[in-house]
Amino acid sequence: MDGSKLVKMANQIAAFFAAEQDRKVAVENVAGHLKRFWDPRMRREFLALFDTGGDHGMSELVVAALKTHRATLEPTSQ
Amino acid sequence: MTTTIYVPRDSAALSVGADDVAALLAQHAKAQQLEVRIVRNGSHGMLWLEPLVEVATAQGRIAYGPVTPADLPALFAANFLQGGAHPLRLGKTKEIPYFAQQTRLTFARCGITDPLCTDDYVAHGGLAGLQKALLQKPAEIVAVLVQSGLRGRGGAGFPAGIKWRTVLGAPADQKYIACNADEGDSGTFSDRMLIEGDPYMLLEGMTIAGLAVGATEGYIYLRSEYPDARTVLSEAITRARAKGWLGNNVLGSGKQFEVFLRIGAGSYICGEETAMLESLEGKRGMVRPKPPLPAIAGLFGKPTVINNVMTLAAVPCILAQGGDHYASFGVGRSKGTLPFQLAGNIKHGGLVEVPLGITLRALLYDFGGGTITGRPIRAVQVGGPLGAYLPASKFDLPLDYEAFAAAGFMVGHGGIVVFDDSVDMQAMARYAMEFCAIESCGKCTPCRIGSTRGVEVIDKIARGHRREQNVQLLRDLCDTLANASLCAMGGLTPMPVLSALDYFPEDFTKN
Amino acid sequence: MYSNKVLDNGTPARTSTKTVALQIDGVQITVPEGTSVMRAATDAGVKVPKLCATDSLEAFGSCRLCLVEIEGRRGYPASCTTPCEPGMKVKTQSKKLATLRRSTMELYISDHPLDCLTCPANGNCELQDMAGVVGLRDVRYGYDGENHLQAEKDTSNPYFTFDPTKCIVCSRCVRACEEIQGTFALTVEGRGFGSKIAPGPTDFLSSECVSCGACVQACPTATLMEKTIADAGQPDHSVVTTCAYCGVGCSFRAEMKGNEVVRMVPNKDGKANHGHSCVKGRFAWGYATHPDRVKKPMIRRQITDPWREVSWEEAIGYAASEIKRIQAKYGRGSVGGITSSRCTNEETYLVQKLVRAAFGNNNVDTCARVCHSPTGYGLRQTLGESAGTQDFDSVDETDCVILIGANPTDGHPVFASRMKQRLRQGAGLIVIDPRRIDIVRMPHVEANFHLQLKPGANVAVLNAIAHVIATENLAKLDYITARCDLAEFAKWDAFIRLPKNSPEALEAETGVPAVQIRGAARLFASVPNGSIYYGLGVTEHSQGSTTVMAIANLAMLTGNLGRKGVGVNPLRGQNNVQGSCDMGSFPHEFPGYRHVSDPTVRELFSTSWGVPLDGEPGLRIPNMFDAAIDGSFKALYVQGEDIAQSDPDTKHVLRALEAMECIIVQDIFFNETAKYAHVILPGSSFLEKDGTFTNAERRISRVRKVMPPLAGLADWEATMAFAKALGYPMHYTHPEQIMAEIASLTPTFAGVSYDKIERLGSIQWPCNDKAPNGTPVMHEGQFVRGKGRFMVTEYIATEERTSRRFPLILTTGRILSQYNVGAQTRRTQNATWHDADVLEIHPHDAEQRGIKDGEFVALQSRKGDTALRAVVTERMQPGVVYTTFHHPESGANVVTTENSDWATNCPEYKVTAVQVTPNGKPSKWQQEFASFEGVQDSLLPKKDA
Repeated sequence: MDGSKLVKMANQIAAFFAAEQDRKVAVENVAGHLKRFWDPRMRREFLALFDTGGDHGMSELVVAALKTHRATLEPTSQ
Repeated sequence: MTTTIYVPRDSAALSVGADDVAALLAQHAKAQQLEVRIVRNGSHGMLWLEPLVEVATAQGRIAYGPVTPADLPALFAANFLQGGAHPLRLGKTKEIPYFAQQTRLTFARCGITDPLCTDDYVAHGGLAGLQKALLQKPAEIVAVLVQSGLRGRGGAGFPAGIKWRTVLGAPADQKYIACNADEGDSGTFSDRMLIEGDPYMLLEGMTIAGLAVGATEGYIYLRSEYPDARTVLSEAITRARAKGWLGNNVLGSGKQFEVFLRIGAGSYICGEETAMLESLEGKRGMVRPKPPLPAIAGLFGKPTVINNVMTLAAVPCILAQGGDHYASFGVGRSKGTLPFQLAGNIKHGGLVEVPLGITLRALLYDFGGGTITGRPIRAVQVGGPLGAYLPASKFDLPLDYEAFAAAGFMVGHGGIVVFDDSVDMQAMARYAMEFCAIESCGKCTPCRIGSTRGVEVIDKIARGHRREQNVQLLRDLCDTLANASLCAMGGLTPMPVLSALDYFPEDFTKN
Repeated sequence: MYSNKVLDNGTPARTSTKTVALQIDGVQITVPEGTSVMRAATDAGVKVPKLCATDSLEAFGSCRLCLVEIEGRRGYPASCTTPCEPGMKVKTQSKKLATLRRSTMELYISDHPLDCLTCPANGNCELQDMAGVVGLRDVRYGYDGENHLQAEKDTSNPYFTFDPTKCIVCSRCVRACEEIQGTFALTVEGRGFGSKIAPGPTDFLSSECVSCGACVQACPTATLMEKTIADAGQPDHSVVTTCAYCGVGCSFRAEMKGNEVVRMVPNKDGKANHGHSCVKGRFAWGYATHPDRVKKPMIRRQITDPWREVSWEEAIGYAASEIKRIQAKYGRGSVGGITSSRCTNEETYLVQKLVRAAFGNNNVDTCARVCHSPTGYGLRQTLGESAGTQDFDSVDETDCVILIGANPTDGHPVFASRMKQRLRQGAGLIVIDPRRIDIVRMPHVEANFHLQLKPGANVAVLNAIAHVIATENLAKLDYITARCDLAEFAKWDAFIRLPKNSPEALEAETGVPAVQIRGAARLFASVPNGSIYYGLGVTEHSQGSTTVMAIANLAMLTGNLGRKGVGVNPLRGQNNVQGSCDMGSFPHEFPGYRHVSDPTVRELFSTSWGVPLDGEPGLRIPNMFDAAIDGSFKALYVQGEDIAQSDPDTKHVLRALEAMECIIVQDIFFNETAKYAHVILPGSSFLEKDGTFTNAERRISRVRKVMPPLAGLADWEATMAFAKALGYPMHYTHPEQIMAEIASLTPTFAGVSYDKIERLGSIQWPCNDKAPNGTPVMHEGQFVRGKGRFMVTEYIATEERTSRRFPLILTTGRILSQYNVGAQTRRTQNATWHDADVLEIHPHDAEQRGIKDGEFVALQSRKGDTALRAVVTERMQPGVVYTTFHHPESGANVVTTENSDWATNCPEYKVTAVQVTPNGKPSKWQQEFASFEGVQDSLLPKKDA
């Protein structure tokens, strides 16, 4: 899928959760939202994009979420 | 030395040239280098004498009338400024029998003072009632009114004190006083005469009503056909505000009362109290069903005292002189005075304020002097266009609410219209139906359709078409109107019709 | 209209807890204080003749037929206007009363045409009935008197006629227009005998009339008469059902002659509408039998092929084989489905079940994605349940309404009338909307504040209001302490008090003077009961979910949740959008909003459905489009939604559709999406099936079949056949069994059954052991999630900004006479009022561009361009333009962008940077649209001559 669109969507999610003062919780919330609402192929492609190196315009919080919660975000099916 | 001359500004006087008389009088005086002060007073109510010019002399006010501009040279020549003799000289105003025989409580000042002069008003006893009221608790004011026995002078005759007590007892964040000045009855003019001749008295009465029931706003609903009254009243309200008689601090008491003037739009039905409320609220003038009583849910849905001008104008006198003083006039449950208005085919038309209980005969002949035409009086309509036509056999009936009601008549607003023996009572019955048809608000069916059918049925009777059946139909229709109408408009229309049919049946059998 | 089959109590019910006991014709009866003698009589089983009284209107007292005798009272009081008093003894029949009634009726009939036998109201005319009741035998006045028999009939309204010759001037129509609808279009002209009903100085069509039908409903004679009845005659039976237009969910009686609807009449007992209606539900139902209805299944290999009409078996067999082929080739996740918010709960449930169980993935979504998905998310986060908190009746007890991003007088007219009733009683109104919508100032209604914000600034305005309430110490701290999570509140409180959230600091962003925001905040915080109503102007933004949370914050902050008169009230767009969400139409949730990753829930469904279920969320609609263009999503089963017209960035949507190998469209019309489809399954309208709809107040109401499906199968039957062909047979013989399954699997529906709905009329979920009769008001005592949770709602502006190239903001919406994509309403005479979408523009912006009112203009965004007519109006603020999307050829969504809500991907329909230029000509897209439409039309089977 269009990688830049995925980045934009993830950044929007992170922007909302950035208001959380507790950094750990903020990172968890971003990852949690991606896990709960993104179809596996979206997460897979997003992780793949991330794995190509560089941030591709991902916000710092998105990057942190991907790093910290990578295992959770890996699809379990399909 | 300056001489004070009184030339009424009342509409009745104006209609017969009072303004011209006043203007020319000033010119003549100037030309003759006489110093005069012309006061435009209210009318004394002797309308056949208007314009009634008075001159203040050492002996008191001397009346001349009716004065036309053409009379002025002769009057000056007769030295009328000193009370000189002239065929128009009527003597001292207060000794003119028509006037002297009255009991003027409500119209005590009317004709005597300059209507808009606040000093004049106070000098002649104005504000005494309000000052007393300011010292009393609301319930005490209401008690004085109950004691006075004053009944609504608009027509229904409901005890004013009881109505006030209901409003006083109705809890609300806002209450109103609504003054009905939509004086629409044919042949009546007392409200107008008072507004034009002594407007502060009405404002004082409304303010007392406000204090009595806890209302801080009053609305006067004045008919549009009274432009002179409108001018006087709006100026009076402005001046009363300026003097602190109205506003946030009435006479320095800290109490609040404000009066607003609203003008009707030419509808008779808006004189019906609930239609008046609709009109005051800016809506189409349609009758409201009761209950709720306006005393509980009236203007803008709030508890409201609705009284007419005569009722509210009687209040200052009652407060000033006491409820028992007012109650000492009149008969039975009809206490106090009623300003009757003599009109129609009558020699001495005008306003006659006398205690209730006087006979029609005394009014018609002792005051009125019979017809202008000199022919015998055949019928008298008492109580406006919806009042009964009385035949001569009923002229000894005392004019009190109960006696009239018992005989199937009504005193109403005290209007008396006189007809001589040339009157066609079938035409008068038709007129009554036609009046109802023209003035009906159109809400309830008996009045909306019935009045039009009434005219048609009377026309059939007049044409001699199935006369007997149609007379019966007319009576049935009157029964429906009387018993099924929503308000008094339809409910009372049968009164003139049936009285014509009952007392003058001969007029319904000729083609 | 009058129906002698519906009991009319004459005057409205009173609710006082005090009672009054009295006797009527010897029958002892106890009624609430304030009840009229007439209504008490009806309660006592005593009928009093009447004409001007009807129980939907306050007593008027004009017809004088209902006179009674009351012991100890003079005269003959009207029973409608006389309140009951303790100990009253009332006689409704006497010789005198009979005489008065008969003579009054005699007067009526003396001005009425004697054409009963040819009158459309014949058999259902209250005047006719009353003439019979009072025993009128003769009209002694004759018929040659003055009358209205030559008055001219007004036929201007497309749906009803006004025949003044038959009018009895009871004012029921005028009062209905005022008291119920609140439009004040009608009046009585003239007076006395000359009194006549008039829609102002003009005819009905050109008047202020909104054709809600309240006047027609109220008319006791044939004066105001539906044209369908004049044409078809009186109905022979009727069936209670639920309107299939907006989310108000009005209850109607479908009046029938055999299988043919002759009239839709709002049901007095309907708890959502209490007998009121709007022009759509009341009159615009003719689409159901429009010649354009698709009546036969069709298939084709490619969209360039002509359509072939086939049997249901062949069509479904083909669809199933394609799904199997595609899954085999591209994987299990390459197919998906879209449920319809127009269809019943049962049908929606089946489609999601089919996707999850037969397709074997969670790629199911619904049109709520593009409207109220942020409501579901935002309210779930804050309060714990994805639904509005109140019933509609709640508005009767509110003291101040905040109306944000909703235009109920157009979008939810029946509820708007209800709200206006309360506003006329004196409740405060704060409107937050970029446009000066009608309710800002209407007859006897005026907003205390209209915060005319810039599109996109909702969060900023709501934060500013909350800031004022917090910093001026107007918050209801006792309520918050008792009911909310205090740690979350503390975080939020610290955030909201920041100077950056003050109305002054945000003035430039919001465009609203700070003093107005402060005034509005103080008003809202000062009233005992404050309520918030909102619509798509809240959700269809990149911060839609944030805005919903800000609304919930504000309600908690002011203690306005958990009782009547308050609450957070999303006004749902479509008839069953609440239901389709409840039924598990979202890709991440099973019915009852339970996440697919929850193993216990998955186990429950897996056991019931007999198949393993996927625990990963599926694709949402916009993701489906992206995946389709990307090549991983190849087939779509879409029931009752026209994604090609309704979804944003049309060109992107069409590219996605073109990229798919099999699109199965199930719809009642050959819609825009169908042009890209390979299989057409004819849909069934709401008149052709049984089921339930759930409205915006969570009210589950029955939809009842009044005619057989035009194409033979109801939608749920077609879905079952499809499932079977896919190898997953379903075994329902009636939708009732589907509801039983839903109830068994969904805790909030556990107590719902058709039997119970039959008994109660309708049920508001949650309905279970804790609330066996349903739940009109949620969160009483405590929030569904336990403690209410304040969410920090940082204002993050949309990326969609004006620029030199696109200096204006386009926002989109709806109008009264048209509905959504217009597929239904365009096929009715509602087109009389709105036959094309227009662009509303402020005079200043128009002047600057040399645009004249009515001129064709070009509308361009970075996404695309189109052309439509301009309407120059001061309803707009400078810098903002507005249009609707009811007509496909206007291409409003060619212009809208792919921006969407951060949490739910709900598209940002409400903010698009555009340019408007004069001398518009059909855009390239519009020309292509027209030619493609021509091609597709030619591929359709020839219609029978």
